[in-house]
Amino acid sequence: MSVIDESGREFKVDLTNCDREPIHIPGHVQGHGALLAVHPDYFTILQASQNVATYFGTPAETLLGKELSILLDPTQMGALRDARQSQPLAQNPVYVFQGEIGGQGPFDVSAHTYQGILIIEAEAVDQIDPAAPDFQALVTESLVRLQSTKTLEDFCQAAAVEFRKISGFDRVMIYRFLQDASGTVVAEDLAPGIESFLGLHYPASDIPKQARALFVQNASRIIPDPSYEPSPIVPTLNPLTDRPLDMSYASLRGVSPMHTQYLRNMGVCASMSQAIVVDGQLWGLIASHHYENRRVPYGLRRGCEFLAKLVALMVRGKVDEEQSSYRQQIEETHDALVESMSRHRSIVEGLTGGERRIEHFVDCTGCAILADGECHLIGQTPTPTQVRVLAEWLRRERGDELYVTDSLSREYPEGERMKDVASGVLSIRLTKVPGEFVLWFRPEVVKTVNWAGNPTKPVEPTPSGDRLNPRKSFELWQEEVRDRSNPWKRLEIESARRLRIAITEMVIRRAEEVSRANVRLERSNVELDSFAYIASHDLKEPLRGIHNYSTFLLEDYGEALDETGRERLRTLVRLAERMETLTDSLLHFSRLGRQELDLQKHDLNDVLQEAIEATSARLEETGTEVRIPWPLPTVTCDGVQLVEVFQNLIANAAKYNDKPHKWIEVGVRSEGALPGEQPHVLYVRDNGIGIPRKHFESIFRIFKRLHGRTEFGGGTGAGLTITEKVVQRHGGRLWLESEPGQGTTFFFTLGA
Amino acid sequence: MTDKLDRPIVVVEDSDEDFEALSRAFNRLDVRVPVQRFTDADDCLEYLRGEAHAGNIASRPALILLDLNLPGTDGKEALQEIKSDGDLRAIPVTVVTSSTNKADVETCYRYGANGYMTKGGSFQSFQQAVGTMLDFWFKTVVLP
Repeated sequence: MSVIDESGREFKVDLTNCDREPIHIPGHVQGHGALLAVHPDYFTILQASQNVATYFGTPAETLLGKELSILLDPTQMGALRDARQSQPLAQNPVYVFQGEIGGQGPFDVSAHTYQGILIIEAEAVDQIDPAAPDFQALVTESLVRLQSTKTLEDFCQAAAVEFRKISGFDRVMIYRFLQDASGTVVAEDLAPGIESFLGLHYPASDIPKQARALFVQNASRIIPDPSYEPSPIVPTLNPLTDRPLDMSYASLRGVSPMHTQYLRNMGVCASMSQAIVVDGQLWGLIASHHYENRRVPYGLRRGCEFLAKLVALMVRGKVDEEQSSYRQQIEETHDALVESMSRHRSIVEGLTGGERRIEHFVDCTGCAILADGECHLIGQTPTPTQVRVLAEWLRRERGDELYVTDSLSREYPEGERMKDVASGVLSIRLTKVPGEFVLWFRPEVVKTVNWAGNPTKPVEPTPSGDRLNPRKSFELWQEEVRDRSNPWKRLEIESARRLRIAITEMVIRRAEEVSRANVRLERSNVELDSFAYIASHDLKEPLRGIHNYSTFLLEDYGEALDETGRERLRTLVRLAERMETLTDSLLHFSRLGRQELDLQKHDLNDVLQEAIEATSARLEETGTEVRIPWPLPTVTCDGVQLVEVFQNLIANAAKYNDKPHKWIEVGVRSEGALPGEQPHVLYVRDNGIGIPRKHFESIFRIFKRLHGRTEFGGGTGAGLTITEKVVQRHGGRLWLESEPGQGTTFFFTLGA
Repeated sequence: MTDKLDRPIVVVEDSDEDFEALSRAFNRLDVRVPVQRFTDADDCLEYLRGEAHAGNIASRPALILLDLNLPGTDGKEALQEIKSDGDLRAIPVTVVTSSTNKADVETCYRYGANGYMTKGGSFQSFQQAVGTMLDFWFKTVVLP
């Protein structure tokens, strides 16, 4: 069997090329009626199926070029003209009349226009049904029963029952297409003794791509007898269009030999299919089989088509209904996550801190958040390392913001080892650099698929071996499907996409806020430092004047004053001196914040010796012994500033001590740390007066003193503040332990 | 204290109080050298250059005492100017300042300062420091 394609070339169809077969221009009609292609305005017969000779008693060759009135009587012509004027016939076959043509028949005659040609189809009527059933009443009853179903499953089952009741076919199946265009029989109603196909799976090649596309255009397909004698259209090319006649909307359209062979192999003697189109997509078919040849009278066919359209609308409603509670759950989780994100500082906290968390967003068994340098895992997931490596692969190899698979191992070799937790992955990318992701996981679900025949061998060679035929065996063929999770729904994927946008917008907004705050903070720090520096620097001059002039006054006019007056002046000098010391400390402190650290490797033993020498006067005066039980390490630090740290701590230790035998111990503590790995904890311990716990924090405040001016040799109270500042600038920490009356230990680290 | 030279000491000091403290110290120390005071570095530089060009050796300063914190051209810039001028470079300059900043000390010596002393502390200690410094320049070393 061959057909002529659009370019006029012969197309020899077999199963290797049937997805390219031009099935809309088969070049012939089925045997149960005759077709005429007519000029839409002048009703000149342009093409005819050759069986007009049998049906109308006139050979096609005689009819060509004649007016249609050669066949139709004036009443019939009138009906046709009326239909032509009163109804839109374009791509819409309309019933015109029932009657005899050329003294034969009767025929059911319908007409439609397509691509500028009026196509008239006359289907032979077997017998005039004396009591045609009232299809409208039947459909209305069916509708009531369909509406009472709850789930989509129940609905499909009810639809199969109602459809069979009206159509009278032996088997009515609701066939649902899956994402890969293969399909399953999801519901079925059978006449007694008919084999069940329920639950069987058919490969995508059984209904090829262009056949699926044609179903979206023309929802109905009836084959009353798969063994019909094809009746060619003559001439092959239409004289008006110079192309083969496009029969996309013709119900007599000839069937692909592959399909009739397929039906014959299955033992089916008549078939009727109605498409269930939901939102412009082919959702499924109502597929009917009969085991005797069966014509479908025009009225019945229209009833079936009408019911099929209602089923499509109701399927859509059921799908929406089933999704709507899940959709609501997703939307509520979305809102809760966005709200939580706005209250938390980090992405991880935002997505995991609330009542509804990221793992509640879609149905999943595990979830991972890779953000803020963390790998946060929830539920059943791959290991942190596996997740990180997967994210890196996504970042490099899959550039998109969203990635979804129900079979990770097919795309990602390492996926094989984590399929029991992550066969299915839905992932959204929050940032490209450094590559932050949210991933939802689903485990592998091993499924048994019941194929109607071996799907890997849908074809068999013909005995002559010159082409391939559809398979003959539709025996149950079971396949175990591995490496696959339950598939991700479109709703889930689109919702994840929406969540990604919401999260990234918040991340960007937050980053902007933080960087603005940092700039402000930096500026105010710099201003504060320079304020302290300038203030203390410029304060010194008038202060020195007050100091000097009080001295001069005392020297030059002291005689003129009495002792009280002189004492007051001496107090003035003392206060000015004190203020000068405070100003110096402040100046020193603020300078610490402004100076760059001069980081070098320093042997802390040398640093400590320098500090001891600098405080030697006080150590000697107080008779304090300095003990160094172990040598100190060599560290990277600013040597000058570190001398000051030791100096301050040693001076304090010597100063605040009332024991007869005073000692200070300087050492390094390294318990629990491998050498050179952790920052060293250095300490300065004394057997001094100790510090009450409540003062542990306030002692670091500048100019804070715990004792009177003259006790323990006085001081400004800036030493510990400066010490802490130096330690902190080195990235370290300063803290203390103390027992009043027993002594104090100051600890510090110098960061990494 | 010193009468072997009648060449002046130039003092660059904007603060009247600080200048009075210095003068008081000079009096107490019985310094009999003429003192030429400037409150502004630019005026001082102009004076020094004028004297140098006039070839007036007798009026060439024996010593410059220079404050750092000055209005307009500050002390460090003035120091740089003096030490990069072939005619003036030989005059000893001692920085007298309230700054104890190590960076200031280092910069001044790098620019060629011949001494650096701070004004802080009590007047007695300041007077003592000034005395020691003058003893060095006028009694110990030979000036150009």
